[in-house]
Amino acid sequence: MAIVPVRLFPDPVLGGACAPIGEIDDEARALARDLLDTMRGSSHSVGVAAPQIGVARRAFCIDVTDHPKARSCHGEVVVFDPIVVERSGVDVGREGCMSVPDLTGDVARSASIVLRGIGVDGNEIVLDADAFEARAVQHELDHLDGLLFLDRVVARDRLYRRRTYR
Amino acid sequence: MPHVAVTAVGVDRPGIVAAVTGVLLRHGGNLEDTAMTRLGGHFAMVLVVEVPGDEDAGALESALAAETSTIGLTVTVRPIAEVAGMRDEGSPWAVTVHGADRPGIVHRVTSLLAEHGANIVDLATHQLTTNAGTGYVVLLSVLLPAAADPDALHAALDALAGDLGVDVHLRPDDADLL
Repeated sequence: MAIVPVRLFPDPVLGGACAPIGEIDDEARALARDLLDTMRGSSHSVGVAAPQIGVARRAFCIDVTDHPKARSCHGEVVVFDPIVVERSGVDVGREGCMSVPDLTGDVARSASIVLRGIGVDGNEIVLDADAFEARAVQHELDHLDGLLFLDRVVARDRLYRRRTYR
Repeated sequence: MPHVAVTAVGVDRPGIVAAVTGVLLRHGGNLEDTAMTRLGGHFAMVLVVEVPGDEDAGALESALAAETSTIGLTVTVRPIAEVAGMRDEGSPWAVTVHGADRPGIVHRVTSLLAEHGANIVDLATHQLTTNAGTGYVVLLSVLLPAAADPDALHAALDALAGDLGVDVHLRPDDADLL
């Protein structure tokens, strides 16, 4: 169990594509624990991707429980090797990222998304998410491809220098 | 290392940013926060630049003017006090103003915001003419101090909007941390 210090931009680990997890072994299970501990350790966090704790592998966790903008809510979920099965609609929302402390930006995301991946128990999981949970999923997915919300800001004047989060 | 504020304005054409930043680079400058945009057919640049300790602002201004003379820019370089971190206390709010153009919209709205302690962190205005007349749009990002009362500001903005004959909207501008 460990809360891992979150890697901050411009750490190169945030900028590269991550390698697949493949088999769910002890290392993968330890990564899942670190992801969850780190998310739980930050009161504002609704998700952490593996590269944010320095591990360039395709894994993330989310938990949008009690978030005012959430509609679908699957509670705490760890997903390995996620694949997008389906997406629809578009919503623009203001995002911040634990790895980019001083900036926020308006980002367009699919309004709903269906994701397939592997759970900690090695079984396939399918996540059907909308509203805020869908946004959180897409934000974490981007980390696995070395993308930050900075890469998706809808226009150059929609990036803001901020530190205040709800 | 010390900082200078650089401004450059000229009739818009390709190559302005490359020319100005090329001179700054050759003088050992490192760009920090900048804003550059086209305004009414002109291109305007405002840059905070870190420069070597022995770099003289006046000499840098002369070099910039000389080396961009073929582009015809109006350039200034001034030393500025050390950037002492961002003053970003307060809650973020967005203010939008739009209506028929008339003198004083920006001044009246920003005076009211200042009275309420709101700190403007970004402001852009756009004038546009249609077959219905000339309209004006103002977009502001402001930080409201904890002591400020958003409801009171809202009411005051509504009253001002009626006075100016424009629409004014105030909304929280929070981001979600993911």
